[in-house]
Amino acid sequence: MSRLLRALAALLVAVLVLPAAAGAVDIKAVTTPAGIKAWLVQDKSAPAVSLSFSFAGGTASDPAGQLGVTSLMATLLTDGAGTLTAQAFRQRQEDAAASVSFSASLDRLGGGLRVLSANREEGFELLRMALTQPRFDSDMIEQRRAQTIASINQANQRPNSVAARTLMETEFAGHPYANDPDGTPDDLKKLSQQELKQRAASLLIRNGLIVAAVGDIEEADLARLLDRAFGSLPVGTPPALPPEWKPPTKARTVVVERSVPQSTALLALPGVARDDPDWYAALIMNHILGGSGQQSRLFSEVREKRGLAYGASSSLRVYKRAALLVMSTASANERIAEALRVVKAELARLRVDGPTEQEVADAKTYLAGALALALDSSGAIAGLLHSMQVDGLAPDHLTKRAALIAAVKIDDVRRLARRVLRDEALTTVVVGKPVGITADP
Amino acid sequence: MVLPSSRAPIVNQLVVYKVGSADEVYGKTGIAHFLEHMMFKGTGTVGPTEFSRIVSKNGGRDNAYTSFDTTGYYQTVAPDRLEMVMRMEADRMANLRITEKELIPERQVVLEERRMRTENSPAALLGEAVQEQLYGRHKPYGMPISGYVDDVKKLSVHDLAAFYAKWYMPNNAILIVAGDTTADQVRKLAEKHYGPIPQRKVDPRRRPGEGASDLPQRVTRADARVAEPRWSRYYLAPSYHKGESQYAYALEVLARLLGGGETSRLWNNLVVDRKIALSAWASYSPSSLGLTSFDLGVHPAAGTPIVEIESAVGGLLGKLLDDGVTAEEVERAQNQLLAAAIYSQDSLQSGPRIYGGALGVGGTVADIDAWPQRIAAVTPAAVVAAARHVWRADGLVTSVLTPQEGMR
Repeated sequence: MSRLLRALAALLVAVLVLPAAAGAVDIKAVTTPAGIKAWLVQDKSAPAVSLSFSFAGGTASDPAGQLGVTSLMATLLTDGAGTLTAQAFRQRQEDAAASVSFSASLDRLGGGLRVLSANREEGFELLRMALTQPRFDSDMIEQRRAQTIASINQANQRPNSVAARTLMETEFAGHPYANDPDGTPDDLKKLSQQELKQRAASLLIRNGLIVAAVGDIEEADLARLLDRAFGSLPVGTPPALPPEWKPPTKARTVVVERSVPQSTALLALPGVARDDPDWYAALIMNHILGGSGQQSRLFSEVREKRGLAYGASSSLRVYKRAALLVMSTASANERIAEALRVVKAELARLRVDGPTEQEVADAKTYLAGALALALDSSGAIAGLLHSMQVDGLAPDHLTKRAALIAAVKIDDVRRLARRVLRDEALTTVVVGKPVGITADP
Repeated sequence: MVLPSSRAPIVNQLVVYKVGSADEVYGKTGIAHFLEHMMFKGTGTVGPTEFSRIVSKNGGRDNAYTSFDTTGYYQTVAPDRLEMVMRMEADRMANLRITEKELIPERQVVLEERRMRTENSPAALLGEAVQEQLYGRHKPYGMPISGYVDDVKKLSVHDLAAFYAKWYMPNNAILIVAGDTTADQVRKLAEKHYGPIPQRKVDPRRRPGEGASDLPQRVTRADARVAEPRWSRYYLAPSYHKGESQYAYALEVLARLLGGGETSRLWNNLVVDRKIALSAWASYSPSSLGLTSFDLGVHPAAGTPIVEIESAVGGLLGKLLDDGVTAEEVERAQNQLLAAAIYSQDSLQSGPRIYGGALGVGGTVADIDAWPQRIAAVTPAAVVAAARHVWRADGLVTSVLTPQEGMR
C-alpha cells in the first residue's frame, strides 16, 4: 500500500470517530506580506482546508460577440497549466486528494480549492499554476466548447432551465443580465484561444479579489500560501460594472410551449438590494411568503390546502446591479392557471393585509437559527465568509445579525410588502402546455 | 448511533425505517412514498401540517426521503431543540393519524411530484423502463419508487395505515444523531422518547436473488424533448448483501478506475484520445438489500453514431478483461474513493446519510469502519475477477436516449 493510501485509510478512521473540537465561528482578517486580504476561520475538526475566492467581473461583462467567454475560460483554467497537460494537471490533483475549480456568475469569476491539510503545499501550488500559467490548449478548447454547446442545447429542453432562462431574458431585456452565463452557441463557436487568454488576463487580477479560508491551517501558513498562489497576479483594473437596470413597469406573461404534462412557472418582481435599509424586513417577508421549509403561505395555500403542486416557494435574488423576488411552482397543465391564481392572491393578501404578529415572530426565530444550519461543512462556511465580503459586511457581522433581525417591526414588513408586492410589476413565465393562460403579445 | 462534532451549534437527527418501495406489491405501489408525505400530517397531539411548522419556528429545518430499501426522516436544529424533535419523531412513529381529509389533496401533491421528477423528464422515464427490464416487471426494484400512477390514484387511508402499522416501530428503525451533542445525552433522550414505544414483530424483507429472466434487453426512447443522445449500459451486479458480495469492494474500485471522473479509462479513451464522446462515466452503489447494477454511460459527440460508441465501450471492457489493470491505476482509484469519503465526512448531513443508508439495509457499524481497509486491500487481480463476474452478456440492459428525428 502506498504512503498516501495508508494515510487516507488512517485519516478516514480518525474522521469517522470524529474528535470534537472547539466550535464557534471566529473570523480572523488576515493580510499577507504581499498585501492579499483574506478571512480565515480555523477549524481543526476536519483534516482539510477549503478556500473560496472570487475576482471582480463576471459573465455580464463578456465583450460583445464573445458571449460565453468568461464561463469557458473559467472551465479551461483547470485544463492544463505550466508544463502539465489537462490530464497531467488532473492527475496531480487526484494524487494530492486536492480539487481546484473555477466558475463564473453574472458579476464575479469564482474559484475554490479543497485539499487535505497535509497536502496543502501541493494544493496551493496547483492553484498558483492554474491562476498564472493556464495553457488553453486547443484540443481542450474544442472539447469544452462542444460540451458547453451540448449542455446549452440540453438545458433548452429542460422545462425548469427554460423557465429560468426565459425569466432572465424577460426581466432584464436590453441589459447584460439577460444573457446566458454559458453564452450562445453562435458566439461560442467563434471564440479564439487569443480571446480566452485575454479574458483570463483581464479578470485574474488582485484588484477586487476576495478570499475566504476555512480549515486546519495556521494564519501565518495561510498568508504564505496565499502569497504563493495570488501574489504574482497583476494589480489591474476590474471591468466596468454593467449599466444600471431599469425595472419593468408593466406586468407581462410569457408562455414557452413544451410538450410536457406539467407546466413550470416562475414569477418575478423587482426585489430588495442587499444594502437596502429594509433588507432584514425583506428576509422576514420572504420567509412568510414562500421561504425555506413547509411553513410558508405559498406552501400552505398551493400545496397543503389544494394539492396543486409539489413545490411553491419564493426567494430573494441579489445581483450587483439588480435585485429580484422570484416565486416558483409547477402544476399539471390543466391546473397551472389555478396555481398561479393562488400565488397571485397570496401576493395581494400579503400586500394588503400584511403579516400577522405571530408570523413575524416565527420568521425571526427561524432566521436567527437558520444561519447556524448553513454552517454544516467547511465548504459552506468558506462560502458564507466569501459572500459576506462580496456583500461588504464586516467580520463581526455574525455577532450583530441576530439584533438586526430582532429589530425589524411588523410595520417595516407591512411597508416593504406594499412597496415590493405590486401586480403592475409582475413578470410571469410559464413553460409547458398550460391551459387557460394567455401570453401577452 | 451518535456522531459528535461541535463545529457549529447544530445537531442532525435522522430516523431511518427499514422499509422502502421495494417492500410494496404490484397493485399497491407508491405506498412507502405516499406514507412518507402523510407522516407530516399530524398525530393526536401535533396538528395536520404542524410538524414542519414547529421545527421551522424553532429555527430548524426538516425533510424526508424514500428509496427502494429505506425511508428516512431528518431534522437539523440547535442542540437545545434535540429533545423537542425527538419527542415529535417518536410521536409520529407511534401515533400517526391518517385521514381522508388530508389524504385527498396530498395525493395530488404526490402525483405532481412524479410529474416534476419523472414525467417531465425523458431520461427519468427511460430510467424507469431500464429498472423494469433489468429486475423484472412488477418485481421489487422493477417498479418505480413513487409508484404506478394508477396505483397511487387508488391508495386508501386503510392501505397507508396498514403499511404504517406493519413497518413503523422502534425495532425496525435506526436513530442517527450527528453534531453538537454526546452519546450519553442522545442515549438518555432516546430511551425517554423512543424507549416506551412498544416493539412488535417485524416481517423479514425479501429481495429476489436474480434479475429479469429474459436478459439481455435493449430499451430505446426517441423523444422530441431530448436534445442530446445518451448511451447507457446496466449490468446486474451483487451488492454488499445479495449475490456474490465478495466482489462488491473490487467493483467499487473498478467503477472508479473505469469511469470515475476525467482521468478514468472511459474518459481518457472516448473523450480525450478518440474524441467520439463529450463525457463518459461508470458507477456502482453496493449499499442495497437486493441485487444492484454496475452502470456505464456515454454522451456521444455530435455526429458519432450510437453503434460506434457501443462498439468502442465493448472494446474497452474486453481489453480490461484480457490485459488486466495496473497496480498504479488501482491505487489511484483507491485514493479517490478514500479521499471522497473523507470529504463527505466533512458535512453534517452526509455523515448520517451514509450510516443510515448502510445500516438501513443490514450493514453494521463494523462494516462501515472496515470499509477503508477493505477498499485499500483490493488487488488488480480482484478487480479483473469482479469485472469478469459482472460483465456477462446475459445479465444486462442497454439503453439509448435519442432525439426524435425531425423534431429538433
